[in-house]
Amino acid sequence: MNPSGSTDPILEVKSVSIRFGGVDALKDVSLALARGEVLGLVGDNGAGKSTLIKIISGVYRPHQGEVWFEARRLAPRDPQEVRAHGIETIYQDLALADNLDVGSNIFLGREPIVRRFGWPAIDRGRMRRVAREVLERIDIAIPERKLDRPVQMLSGGQRQAIAIGRAIYWNARLLIMDEPTAALGVPEQRKVMELIRSLKRAGVSIILISHNLHDIFAASDRIAVLRRGEKAGERRTAETDGEEIVHLMVGDEYKQRA
Amino acid sequence: MSAFCRVLLLGALLLAPGAGPAAADADKPVIALLPGVVDPFYFTMRRGAEKAAKEEGVQLLFQIPKTWNTTEQVPILRAFVAKKPDVLLIAPVDKQQLIRPLKEAQGAGIKIITVDTFIDDGKYQDGKGPGDFPLSFVASDNTEGGRIAARALAKAIGGKGTVYCENNKPGISSTDQRVQGFLEEMKAHPDIKVLATQYNEDDANRAASNVSAVLARNPNLAGVFGVNTFSGMGAAEGVKRAGKTGKVKVVVFDAVPGIDKQIKSGLVDIAIAQKPADMGYWGVKYAVGAARGKKIPTERGTGFVVMDKSNIDRPDVRQYIYSN
Amino acid sequence: MTAAFSPSERLDRPAWIGRVWPWLFLGALLVFFEVWSRLRVDRSFLWNVYNVQAILLAASAPLLLAIGQTFVIIAAGIDLSVGFVMGLAAVTVAQVAVAGGEAAWVLPAAVVITLLVCLIPGWINGVLIARLGVPAFIGTLGMYGVARGAGFLAAGSGMTVSVPHEGLAWLGTGWTPIALTGALLAVMHLVLSTTRFGQYTYAIGGNLQSAVRAGIDVKRHLTAIYLVSAGFAGIGGILYAARYGAGAANAGEPLLLDSIAAVVIGGASLFGGTGTLIGTLIGALIISVIHFGLIFIDVDAFWQFIAVGVVIILSVLIDQYKERLGAGA
Repeated sequence: MNPSGSTDPILEVKSVSIRFGGVDALKDVSLALARGEVLGLVGDNGAGKSTLIKIISGVYRPHQGEVWFEARRLAPRDPQEVRAHGIETIYQDLALADNLDVGSNIFLGREPIVRRFGWPAIDRGRMRRVAREVLERIDIAIPERKLDRPVQMLSGGQRQAIAIGRAIYWNARLLIMDEPTAALGVPEQRKVMELIRSLKRAGVSIILISHNLHDIFAASDRIAVLRRGEKAGERRTAETDGEEIVHLMVGDEYKQRA
Repeated sequence: MSAFCRVLLLGALLLAPGAGPAAADADKPVIALLPGVVDPFYFTMRRGAEKAAKEEGVQLLFQIPKTWNTTEQVPILRAFVAKKPDVLLIAPVDKQQLIRPLKEAQGAGIKIITVDTFIDDGKYQDGKGPGDFPLSFVASDNTEGGRIAARALAKAIGGKGTVYCENNKPGISSTDQRVQGFLEEMKAHPDIKVLATQYNEDDANRAASNVSAVLARNPNLAGVFGVNTFSGMGAAEGVKRAGKTGKVKVVVFDAVPGIDKQIKSGLVDIAIAQKPADMGYWGVKYAVGAARGKKIPTERGTGFVVMDKSNIDRPDVRQYIYSN
Repeated sequence: MTAAFSPSERLDRPAWIGRVWPWLFLGALLVFFEVWSRLRVDRSFLWNVYNVQAILLAASAPLLLAIGQTFVIIAAGIDLSVGFVMGLAAVTVAQVAVAGGEAAWVLPAAVVITLLVCLIPGWINGVLIARLGVPAFIGTLGMYGVARGAGFLAAGSGMTVSVPHEGLAWLGTGWTPIALTGALLAVMHLVLSTTRFGQYTYAIGGNLQSAVRAGIDVKRHLTAIYLVSAGFAGIGGILYAARYGAGAANAGEPLLLDSIAAVVIGGASLFGGTGTLIGTLIGALIISVIHFGLIFIDVDAFWQFIAVGVVIILSVLIDQYKERLGAGA
């Protein structure tokens, strides 16, 4: 079931554990993600989804276990290193600078410099051109005059698209998306899901966290369920249904009581 | 209505009542008065100046700084220079820092007379010093005022005890001279010990705290000399807070509004009133003389009135209390 | 495809008003004073070199402080210590000149030493706010007190220290302070609008988390901003000593609020993320024109005190109006 044909997983999480203040936030969690695959990561609140992706993206270091990316072990000192390897994370709040324009957001922290008489000026022309290209690539239309306005003025879906576009521009090979459709209206949700599908077609591997099981089933190839810091189960999307996933999320007690 | 229009309207409304008189007459001299800070002393001065201005038929411009600070007074000075008055009456806030700005004003053809405070050494037109160019200095003889305060305080404490001066800040000619006169006169009283002067930066609350601190170190403190308005107010308050009203004698310079109540209630024992109205009056008179090309005296002292319980109710004494 | 998004067309009008209102207001003020002074006192307000110079000179003192303050406010901070750091600088340059004597190298050394001394409060502000997480208002309020005390201590009992010789005076005479302030403003404007340093300032002020995630070293940057602010306060103090021939510890005390007012009137939001140095310049000019103009047209002194307050309130109201229109979807 691996579209790109390669059999080596692009990402391997091997028996990762982490404790916070005496509580096992994650206990012995293992996952694998194949190239070009979309993995849905689900679980109730507090199950450990955020913690897991923070470990993958370099915010936390696991107390036990390892993370391997593209056949190399990841032991990053900071999230910037992980980004440099090609893993981009899009958090729920998008991490956009609302008061800056599209180009500035795409290049935030890595602005291109052009020297004018020795003065290191930001190359705004290039940033604007790239912004246009990126938006075209992900097929989002934003009127020309809005390209220079703060992104605060754009709609939620457009902002989400910019966050995704930024990740793609920097050649993310693994994209982690945390609740990408949470704050969007239905038409915009559909648009984002389309984007995810086109990313997959382009060979980007994706970990998708969502409470919206409909989206999970629409986009993912496999689903991993976390419950109370442990992996409760993993299924191929085509081979399971919503009820089974929910049961995995909440555990047997519920099933018994029902 | 757009914000822009609202702003214009608001601006026009604000300024309509305050806008000044029509264009000045060609040979009617224009005198500008720029005192030190918002203070009833200077408002009293303004009234004296206005009286003289009416008598002489000249126009008087008036602006007043928010705080006693070079940074506040100099921009106002420059704006006055732009008005091209014939004479500028000014109470310079610092005897050294105002030298250059006043020299510039003089360079623009404006004659300078200082009131209440002076620049440089205060002796003008004698060929000495960088601050020699003003034409006259109209003020109390502050050194003499300090001596009067010393004599009054010495008498009030019975000729012996510990005293000190509560002052604004050094560098102001008027207050510096009062302290100097006070110290000089106290030398003649061998049984009186004078402690170090305390500074309060023209803040009555600081003055009150200073008094508390000095009292704490010297519980037998017999008297305090508040060298200017706020120093005096603060000193009286500090003595009151310590519950020593009457035991610690308070002599203050300047008769602020309400000083009569303070004297009657015993908060303040003696107030030495200057005559700011006279300063304003004579300042304008001299200014008009100078504007008309006459020679004017380089100095004029304006005298004091010593107020205490015995005379505070007399109308000829009360008239010297400052007011807004 | 695009129809699916139906982007909410946020009105551009509030942004336009925000950018343009300071210019409009300054223009209205100039027109107003020109007309009034011709009618009432029969003189021109603007066609007068002395007036223009006086206005620019009066604006230059708070403007120097406001340059640093602009960076700080855009980064969602505030610097309440600038007034007394300026006073400390004025006193320091005077004291070094006194100690050094008549030699030619003394004054340049005094300037350098003063700037170095000012870096200390700037650095402490940076550490408090960027590394220890103290809110900017409180951290810089503390430094306000410390700088004030340090200034008075450095001045000794006199609270002012005379600069013993005329060598520094050229910095403070004629058009020199104006030209110097203008040049510094131009350079810092380029920094703010074209360099990464400026870009990061906006990013940090607009959304701190995003800046952190983007890999910007926020702690180092914020410290640098407070150093810049203290540095400009230092330059202000040096120019003060040059102009008046003495360093007073309270030299900058009246200028703190004017520096913040200039930034706010110029269109920056006190919440951070917006603002420009050109706006700050217009703000400083507006305040200076009002002060000078009201005296020039013989308006009673007390209206002065009210006028600038009114303008600040108006600027904040316009800022709110902008926010409300922009936020409503």
